[in-house]
Amino acid sequence: MRGAHYISKTLITGLVIGSALSLSFNRDHPHPYKLVYPTYFGDRYSIPKDNPETIEGVALGRMLFYEKALSAGNKISCATCHQQQHAFSDGKRFSRGADGVRQSRNTMALVNVLWTRNFFWDGRTPGLENQADTPLTNIHEMGQSLEISVKKLGARKRYARMFAAAFGEARITPERIEKALAQFERTLISCNSRYDQYLRGTYKPTASEENGIRLFYGSPNPARAVRGASCSHCHGGPKTYEELFMNNGLDSIYRDPGRAAVTGRGYDSGRFRVVTLRNIALTAPYMHDGRFKKLEDVVDHYSDHVVKNRYLSPFLQNNSNSLHGSELDLTAKEKKDLIAFLNMLTDSSFITDKRFSDPFVHS
Amino acid sequence: MKTTILISIMLAVGLSVAAQQKDVLLKVSGEVTTPLELTASDIRAMPHITVVANDRSGTPHHYRGVALEDVLSKAGVTLGRQLRGENLTKYVLARCADGYEVVYSLAELDSSFVFHVPIIADSTDGKPLDEAKGPLRIIVPDEKKPARSCFQLTALTIRYARD
Repeated sequence: MRGAHYISKTLITGLVIGSALSLSFNRDHPHPYKLVYPTYFGDRYSIPKDNPETIEGVALGRMLFYEKALSAGNKISCATCHQQQHAFSDGKRFSRGADGVRQSRNTMALVNVLWTRNFFWDGRTPGLENQADTPLTNIHEMGQSLEISVKKLGARKRYARMFAAAFGEARITPERIEKALAQFERTLISCNSRYDQYLRGTYKPTASEENGIRLFYGSPNPARAVRGASCSHCHGGPKTYEELFMNNGLDSIYRDPGRAAVTGRGYDSGRFRVVTLRNIALTAPYMHDGRFKKLEDVVDHYSDHVVKNRYLSPFLQNNSNSLHGSELDLTAKEKKDLIAFLNMLTDSSFITDKRFSDPFVHS
Repeated sequence: MKTTILISIMLAVGLSVAAQQKDVLLKVSGEVTTPLELTASDIRAMPHITVVANDRSGTPHHYRGVALEDVLSKAGVTLGRQLRGENLTKYVLARCADGYEVVYSLAELDSSFVFHVPIIADSTDGKPLDEAKGPLRIIVPDEKKPARSCFQLTALTIRYARD
């Protein structure tokens, strides 16, 4: 008994000295984490002044991203629905939460979220730090209050050290959990697809890919026999992302009101985020409700089946490759070429990057 | 009697809530002396002008609306005689309901600089704007592309350009 007491006392003293040492070592020196991306992505993003990217913060965020203790019953982590091999989505139409209940919308991929300002399909939440609140605490997602998460992390000894390294002191708080997660998510940058290699001049696209690129960026002008698909109008330039919300003609009766539920504006009905197309081949199924299983279905939709509705995006109207046509009217070959381009956006190094993988597998 | 009182209380509460939640279509903020929150009737009450601009297909349309400079002047933005020196480094960021954003320099909106000033249109060819483009949209006359004539304008923010 006395022996056991001695051992635990020594252990505790050792731990205290250890954490004091790591504290004094790290307190003033969380090391800046350099975000690396191509210049053609641009730097129109902002990182909160009170949450700079640090090596220690990112390491903690990665651990928390894969930490099941952050969910009710330790059943799931962020990575359960945001799996690296699916570009941080999960291949399901609707993911299930810790309570087994399905989500009402498709899980979004996490790719280049550094450039996203307002989160979710309806853009209701500004900033990654705030975004984390919902999946962590929603009863049909991870389903656990942040107060309980703080307690559970406190009982795991690695975290005092990691929070100290990231934030200068070992105290675990809800705010720090969200800050660390946000720091990790900002590092999820995908910029080594074949399309990037093409932009860097190290990959020569096939004829089909080249035509896909042309169609993606081009607008139709049937009077001049110019073919186009006008994709870049909303999906933007090389990032294939701009923060836009569009009614893309899925329905005329809006079962999910989309952004209108946030703004209260009729014209926002059926309006959802325009997603990045980076790694799009890995993130099926598609749309806010995962209604399309394959990229072929998506391209067919935009080419032939856009539903005319009251608030349909003006960019999907009067946009035909046929004279006086009402649909985009791509040929079967053009659809294949567009998909060839979309496949160029798959970045195999992003989904195998060890910096983003499950740290518990190796620990 | 009790019911009447109850109904009048409910009505009063309802009306005051409605008054508090006025239907703001356009916010003006940033480098202004008076931030604005304008409703449709505020905008209707301002002087209107008509400009002609082409759509994507090159067809001309008549747009009626309020000069952007009038809205900015109402907010106390440095236009006209004040638009000189460092005030020429100011820009307006227009935000739209779909998330689209576009920038104009102050000088591009000022009638002492340009011949045809951009407007905030609330009707076209005598009709209200299409629901997917209105209730308010900016029309920049004299531009070859309509990309800065943005739809569903919701906010104008005035800032200094900085390094």
